[in-house]
Amino acid sequence: MSWEIAINRTIQNNVPRVYDVLERHPYIKELAKELRDAKLEVLNNLERYIDQTVESVKRVGGIPHVVSSSEEGREVVAKIVGDRKKIVLGKSMVAYELGIREHLKNLGKDVWETDLGEFLIQLANEPPSHIIAPAIHMSKERAEELVRDVLGGLPPNSTHEQIVAKVREFLRDKFVNAEVGITGANAVAADTGSIILVENEGNIRFTTVSPSVHISVAGFEKIVPTLPHAMMEAMVQAAYAGLYPPTYVNLTSGPSSTGDIEMKRVSPAHGPKEFHLVLVDNGRIKASKDPELREALLCIRCGRCHLHCPVYRVLDGNWGVPPYTGPMGAMWSYMVYGDPKPAMLCTHSGGCKEVCPMKINIPRVLEKIKARWWKGSI
Amino acid sequence: MESLRSLLIDSLEKYGMPFPVDKRVCSGWARDLPKGGETIIFTSCMYQVEPVVPTLSKFSSMAGVLKGLSSLAKFVKPPKEELDRAYNILNNIINALRKRGINPGYLYEEEPYSGALLLEMGLLEEFTEHAKKVSKILEEHGIKRIITVDPHTHNALTRYGEFIDFKVEVINYLELVRPEKRVDEEFTIHDSCLYSRFLNLRDKYRDMVNESGVKLKEGFLLTGKETSTCCGGPIAGLDRELSEAIAKKRAENLNKLSKRLLVMCPICYVTLSPYFKGEVKDIAEVIL
Repeated sequence: MSWEIAINRTIQNNVPRVYDVLERHPYIKELAKELRDAKLEVLNNLERYIDQTVESVKRVGGIPHVVSSSEEGREVVAKIVGDRKKIVLGKSMVAYELGIREHLKNLGKDVWETDLGEFLIQLANEPPSHIIAPAIHMSKERAEELVRDVLGGLPPNSTHEQIVAKVREFLRDKFVNAEVGITGANAVAADTGSIILVENEGNIRFTTVSPSVHISVAGFEKIVPTLPHAMMEAMVQAAYAGLYPPTYVNLTSGPSSTGDIEMKRVSPAHGPKEFHLVLVDNGRIKASKDPELREALLCIRCGRCHLHCPVYRVLDGNWGVPPYTGPMGAMWSYMVYGDPKPAMLCTHSGGCKEVCPMKINIPRVLEKIKARWWKGSI
Repeated sequence: MESLRSLLIDSLEKYGMPFPVDKRVCSGWARDLPKGGETIIFTSCMYQVEPVVPTLSKFSSMAGVLKGLSSLAKFVKPPKEELDRAYNILNNIINALRKRGINPGYLYEEEPYSGALLLEMGLLEEFTEHAKKVSKILEEHGIKRIITVDPHTHNALTRYGEFIDFKVEVINYLELVRPEKRVDEEFTIHDSCLYSRFLNLRDKYRDMVNESGVKLKEGFLLTGKETSTCCGGPIAGLDRELSEAIAKKRAENLNKLSKRLLVMCPICYVTLSPYFKGEVKDIAEVIL
């Protein structure tokens, strides 16, 4: 019952707001078209753009890592973290895909999610149910109970505001003392090696600036040709998620630096002294060369398709392999985990393709995955 | 799942239908249509047999349904009331076409199945093979133009060209008819996902519904092109529980708008009817 209440409230809160945003800012649709073309250009030449990104990250003083699998990704991140103990995470679905939080915890690290939704699912020890709102399956009542149980000090019938304030109070200490901040990236600019992160909470600013080491983990599909394209992806993603204008857009190009003495750019300054970009394959190169799957890599993770999908709505957010849920998740479960079963449940209702800013014909991609399932070739 | 595939293929081979039904059930509605001709109406037996499916709901999957049916092929058929309704819909369509000067033929018991179920389940190789057979039958009968009456058949046939060389024109009856009745009633509407979001027919039938005088009770989050959802029917073969959960939710939402529901697909009708508290009518029953 909690799911039904939560999803209905989410739809009521979010869907009309997305339409309002798109009506108020019609340029977003134009940006989405331009972004699709730019992302297709990258997908058609993915290896070249990975190389360019690696060189650009080095040029701005960052350290690039290209990993082929989840295991390699976990090892690389653990090696960067080294002996450091205190780690804060800004919501990253790719980090979840790689199993980074669990891996670091198993290594004895003190690891905290800082995105409110992700923090709630960490407390509940549950998988995320939505790509941008990972705790979408929790009603306010459930979230309240959870925070009260774990953190204490919440009065009965607390408001949304009181729950958020309680978490804020708890996480302040974690931010201030963190040694490593791990985030994802909404977009990676191949020409500059910059990453863009969109957020509303302010947790990503803390996570990327307060600790001395910042690690960004991103799938290859997040690479776009130029920095303007990366900004475009941030704007389009936020708008189609119904969160436009986003409260914050963070741009990170290498470690912190200053040019204030004779305008000589030196690093570090007040922010991190190390910036690492971990670029992840995990099936993406293979998919980029597969004409039946390539479209799926255009996904910008706005999560819009979820709320327009009858299957997602009734399956309690449990459709797909976490963190890849919903219609986009049925495609990604196959690409990343090799699991075609979620695709089998698509009813081809088509709402997902109608609302996708990248115009991915999701039902058609899923149809091809279904055919592969029947053939038994994954 | 493998058993489902083989049962479907066996049934198509034996009965020409994914269900082992008596073909007389399929053709029983037609009274005086010429056999064959360059333009034919193509029912794919969808309106006629779809009411059978819920009567077999005790089976947990399509494989169960098929197993249950195979031994009863000549005996299981929709209840008379449902069959009369389906026949009435098809005759309304024929009459509306004739009023527009279109006199289609019909293949009666030789009418093949479109292969829609194969396509929708992702059995693309099997769909391709089936499409070749259907195409051959149509060629042998000299058919140049097909008029479809339901979204699933229309979708399957319009997609043949992606899989085989197919030259037959496929058009839906909603593109050809006009409303024949003045209707001063209120309905809410459940759009066929295929018509609305894949086949570009949403405006066609909505214009007709409005022209007929029907007052549609719409809700932004419930009947919008991007915001309305599926009836759940297409997934019934693979996961009946999921199908029913979607149908229940959809019907409950539509009930918030009205106690009378307009549909345009036999699968939507059958899937939503058990959960919709009120009357469910097909567009061809109401405006034709």
